[in-house]
Amino acid sequence: MELSCWGGDWGLPSLHPESLTVMAYAKFSGAPLTVNTITNSWRAPKGDLPVLVSEDIVISQPAKILNFLRKQKYNADYDLSAKQGADTLAYIALLEEKLLPALLHTFWVEAENYCSVTKPWFASRIAFPLSLYLPGKMSREALNRILLTKGGPPLYSLTEVEAQIYRDAKECLNLLSKRLGTSQFFFGDTPTTLDAFVFGFLAPIYKVCFPRVQLQEHLKQLSNLCRFCDEILTCYFRLTVSGHSPAGQDTADANLQKLTQLVNKESNLIEKMDDNLRKSPQHPPRKLTTLKLAAGGEESSPMSRLSP
Amino acid sequence: MSLVAEAFVTQLAAAEPWPENAALYQQLKEEQILLSDNASSLAVQAFLQMCNLPIQVICRANAEYMSPSGKVPFIHVGNQVVSELGPIVQFVKAKGHSLSDGLDEVQKAEMKAYMELVNNMLLTAELYLQWCDDVTVEEITHPRYGSPYPWPLNRILSYQKQWEVRRKMKAIGWAGKTLEQVLEDVDQCCHALSQRLGTQPYFFNKQPTELDALVFGHLFTILTTQLITDELSEKVKNYSNLTAFCRRIEQQYFEGHEKESSAIAARSSKRSLLK
Repeated sequence: MELSCWGGDWGLPSLHPESLTVMAYAKFSGAPLTVNTITNSWRAPKGDLPVLVSEDIVISQPAKILNFLRKQKYNADYDLSAKQGADTLAYIALLEEKLLPALLHTFWVEAENYCSVTKPWFASRIAFPLSLYLPGKMSREALNRILLTKGGPPLYSLTEVEAQIYRDAKECLNLLSKRLGTSQFFFGDTPTTLDAFVFGFLAPIYKVCFPRVQLQEHLKQLSNLCRFCDEILTCYFRLTVSGHSPAGQDTADANLQKLTQLVNKESNLIEKMDDNLRKSPQHPPRKLTTLKLAAGGEESSPMSRLSP
Repeated sequence: MSLVAEAFVTQLAAAEPWPENAALYQQLKEEQILLSDNASSLAVQAFLQMCNLPIQVICRANAEYMSPSGKVPFIHVGNQVVSELGPIVQFVKAKGHSLSDGLDEVQKAEMKAYMELVNNMLLTAELYLQWCDDVTVEEITHPRYGSPYPWPLNRILSYQKQWEVRRKMKAIGWAGKTLEQVLEDVDQCCHALSQRLGTQPYFFNKQPTELDALVFGHLFTILTTQLITDELSEKVKNYSNLTAFCRRIEQQYFEGHEKESSAIAARSSKRSLLK
């Protein structure tokens, strides 16, 4: 299975929230995905990213990709109760309605951010001459979406809309922080779909260095959400502090896994041998009976044989 | 609104108690109002009933244009006009009535998340069905939406609204969905609501909150409005605890009133839609 998505920087495997969500879910559920990040070549896939290609089936939106992975038995939500599954849907809706507009604004609409960070970064990863057109198109689409969903009266100017969406986003971050509390993931100790979505939305805000950073500053005050992002990055993506995954890391992991398996097999064999030895008739189980001095002769011979 | 303006309005709101002549404006019940607007209006009425605040429902053909945000319903209280459930809940809270005070922080977060789920999935699905499904548009929406106005104004207004709604659907990615996919989303949403409700009387056990009002508004309207096909209401009927929930709220908050309740009116709109 191959996933095509936008690449990463600043310590993240991807800058694009939806790509990041799919990658995180694949790590959580153990799905074997080969990730192709878009580089400056002509082999760009058509349509929106991320795109999953699996034996001639092409799937494009994160929700559909996750459904497909679940049908292939890579299910990170296996242990969730029905109510927790319902909560997942509700919180994802909250993220899309309240946090996504501000995220889009920070990346694509805020003039300083867009011109100094987003546009050069995306343009450097798209082949010329598409790099002249595509970032502008993505920016226009983002602005369109914000205005159509949030921009009706009584908010009449872009500044009022911006104020409202950042207020909503900060409230959403506060709600997420309260919901997470002190636990490691949203539903206990194993990460699920909701953790993938929250990570996908929060990590770009947290890590990317923008000139205008009001949302990032608010997020940094919520230490449990920052801890949540950092933990997922270190445990599941194994990126070092500098943000580059060492080339030898994967092979070292593979070797470590093989070694662990060998050791496990060895210890299983040793256990079996132990069992056989114990069950063999020459060694009856030790009886904690008191020695009777009268029958000393009979007792002493089993006792002597029991000594290793 | 800036923070200062909001604080000012809250101050004004808190100063006066709830008057007797508070009014809720919506479009004409029999001929004009559409599924999504009816649902929103019913949600606000249910919320105000749950808070025990008297409200009079007034139907005007131009309610949409009178509203400060362009959306119905809106309430006219004292000398203030507030539209949509979210701002109305805050306004009522400023006056000292609230249904969600007894919830802790995590429960409040859950409540807000579920309200967004209903808005995100159910309301968008209703809008899709009304404005993007060609059969429904031709036979129900266009005749109803422009009915108070003479030709050609009725056609112009409904095409304009349709164009607006379709633009919004395209921006959020729903334009590419088929009707089956939309119905499946509705099913998923109802499944989630059903799981969350379980066997409790209300979503947060003993007391109703604004989430109960919102869910009631949407589900009751879906169940009692007749469209081209019954597929949408069938999706809701699959979940017996949701239908029981709607019946319970209807009995408790709407049936004991002398003035024409929206519940009875919704049933009569069922008859009038059979054109």
